Amino acid sequence: MGAAAGSPAQQYNYEVIKKFAIMTLVWGVVGMAAGVYIAAELAWPHLNFGIPYIEFGRLRPVHTNLVIFGFGGSALFATSYYVVQRTCQTRLFSDGLASFTFWGWQAAMVLAPISYMLGHTKSREYAEMEWPLVLLVEVTWVAYLLVFVGTIMKRKQPHIYVSNWFYLAFILAVALLWTFNNLTIPVSLFHMKSYSLFSGVQDAMLQWWYGHNAVGFFLTAAFLGMMYYFVPKQAGRPIYSYRLSIVHFWALSFLYMWAGGHHLHWTALPDWTSTLAATFSIMLLLPSWGGMINGIMTLSGAWDKLRTDPVMRFLIVALSFYGMATFEGPMMALKNVNALSHYTNWTIGHVHSGTLGWVSMITFGSFYHLIPKLWNRKLYSVKLVTVHFWLATIGVLLYIIAMWISGITQGLMWRAFDAYGNLQYSFVESVAAIHPFMVMRWVGGVFFLTGTLLMVYNCYMTVRAGAPETEPAGGNLQPAGANA
Amino acid sequence: MFNFKHEWVETNVGVMLVLVMLAISVGGLVEITPLFFIKNTVEPVKGVYPYTPLELRGRDIYQANGCFYCHSQMIRPFRDEALRYGHYSLAAESQYDHPFLWGSERQGPDLARVGGKYSNEWMVQHLISPRSVVPESIMPAFPFLEQPLAYNDIEQRMEALRDAGVPYALTPAENARNIKQFGPKIAEELYIPDAKKNLIAQARAGDYDGHPGQITQMDALVAYLQVLGTMVDFSKYPNDQFVQDR
Amino acid sequence: MMQWLEWFTRWENTKPVGLVIFFVTFVGILWYVYLGASKGRLESYKNMPFLDDDTVYKEDKQ
Repeated sequence: MGAAAGSPAQQYNYEVIKKFAIMTLVWGVVGMAAGVYIAAELAWPHLNFGIPYIEFGRLRPVHTNLVIFGFGGSALFATSYYVVQRTCQTRLFSDGLASFTFWGWQAAMVLAPISYMLGHTKSREYAEMEWPLVLLVEVTWVAYLLVFVGTIMKRKQPHIYVSNWFYLAFILAVALLWTFNNLTIPVSLFHMKSYSLFSGVQDAMLQWWYGHNAVGFFLTAAFLGMMYYFVPKQAGRPIYSYRLSIVHFWALSFLYMWAGGHHLHWTALPDWTSTLAATFSIMLLLPSWGGMINGIMTLSGAWDKLRTDPVMRFLIVALSFYGMATFEGPMMALKNVNALSHYTNWTIGHVHSGTLGWVSMITFGSFYHLIPKLWNRKLYSVKLVTVHFWLATIGVLLYIIAMWISGITQGLMWRAFDAYGNLQYSFVESVAAIHPFMVMRWVGGVFFLTGTLLMVYNCYMTVRAGAPETEPAGGNLQPAGANA
Repeated sequence: MFNFKHEWVETNVGVMLVLVMLAISVGGLVEITPLFFIKNTVEPVKGVYPYTPLELRGRDIYQANGCFYCHSQMIRPFRDEALRYGHYSLAAESQYDHPFLWGSERQGPDLARVGGKYSNEWMVQHLISPRSVVPESIMPAFPFLEQPLAYNDIEQRMEALRDAGVPYALTPAENARNIKQFGPKIAEELYIPDAKKNLIAQARAGDYDGHPGQITQMDALVAYLQVLGTMVDFSKYPNDQFVQDR
Repeated sequence: MMQWLEWFTRWENTKPVGLVIFFVTFVGILWYVYLGASKGRLESYKNMPFLDDDTVYKEDKQ
């Protein structure tokens, strides 16, 4: 790299990406800290202190929204703007509109948690925002779509790279889901409260159509877009199979939208709907593993990178957790397994093996690649990346093992009968039985959060004090072939 | 011969937008739209009526404090759940629930049929200090529910729900329809112009929180909890009456 | 003679019809991607993420 290494920064709009990258880390820490706190509340309930603003029921949406939309969302804005510019080799379609998406999104991330703590919620999981915030996000999202499609339209490459297909599907799907799941009737123009347009069984199906596809498109498709760019870049070799990516892209986009009903097995939702949803959930295993195989096999022939490059390790372990979670998911969608697992901590463990193991890990790996590029600095410490990797991995494992044990314990205790055919346990006995594992889950969360704090420190030192990229690159953080 | 090349999609963002939109629309269309049209999705059953003004405000408070994150309101058709919670929940029982509050977790027990199982005094004590009655409970304490209930906007709230399809009555004609459908006693509670009067009367008469002089959030919440699952009289139906609608 | 078409109009037959349509589409996609003449051509696009390095670093050297 020459002295004029600032030129990508001139050619591309890096400013908005930098802002989103910083906010990714900020919301990551705040959102995960909220998660650690509510995990502690479940283990030691006096931590609710009888204060309305911090009781579990109001803090839970603060946690879920900040990690999904604050941390995950900002990471997706940052990486999608980076990837679309670099693979289309053109500047973002509109700097002004891109900047608007930043401020719109961040405003929503500040206002939503405050509104939840004050008790304003639509009571729809991961769509708790009341109608004024829904509109803010909606407008921001349309601007995002415009920036993204506009940038693709002025591309200098004839082809649109795979990553951008996934980002595009994610933006479209979230627009569709967000619009329909947020149809409510406000009490008045000056009232935060609104009531859902639909009720009961239809409302439930709509919400879980949204809820499952928030996972499918926000937390999966979009992060696969991230994977399809950063894994090849970090490995210094192209994706394993372009053709596999075509098959699994279309299969994933089509199949995911059918699967939401498996959240409502054995409920008042008609059988045909939840059975259909379960069937598609099982089929979903194929494209999910297609994506995992495509990512992991990219390293084929260069497995030694796993030993030498902790960033690569983050990316590959993320894909492994993705494979594990997408196997566990279809299994839990089977009606007889679901009869045991539903309503228990197993579900929460499953979600976190996806969100901590896949979403966060792929983000960490991508960001250790992205941050040095954006600021044109060498990463401050590769050793700290290794420490972060182990803290995060141990954290996830503690978390999901605790939730497996406690979830299955709950499920078995609830359905246990004594010799006379009466219920063997009262409900509260199941609460008491899982207490040690609720503590273990909290410890797992602390591990994970500590790792994230290390990353923030590492990134801060990289941006503030790291050596300029012009010095000889140390470690293996530079992908082979990156330095032409 | 038809000569399709995937490159056509990869080099035309418009084509890609259309195809992706098609791919992601089918699932929702096939699974959700029929639920609005297939008649037995919500089974016919007697007794379910919209919440009274006080119960409605109690439900708002239940939502605002996120109770539904830990308490489901959806009993599944299993023997253990029948013994623990009662008859499995029917779609009809949440037909006026905007939004539905079926929940997804049971950090605490299901509440779909909690109505009438505990006294008002127990409910209040349990909400203010859960561990004073259930030592192993992990429920947060809700002492702040003893603040006065805001009910100035109750008519507006009911009107919004009426717009969403709940049979709250705004006109005498609608009231007459309600009398026919729900009987005069319940129809009176659903008449929006009398909402404030009805809310105050129910809180006074019920005295849910043990403080007859004031109307608190506790009054509303306990009134809501006490009505949960009590509307359908299952003794009037044969055992397998609702199986066919599943 | 055309009475067999009525089979498709019956509600209870939507499941096998849907299954056949989806499966044929899926096999078609697989056929196109893996067995058609497009094999090598399709794989050639996977190097796109590395194209930008060239343009960027060329400018760098000026």
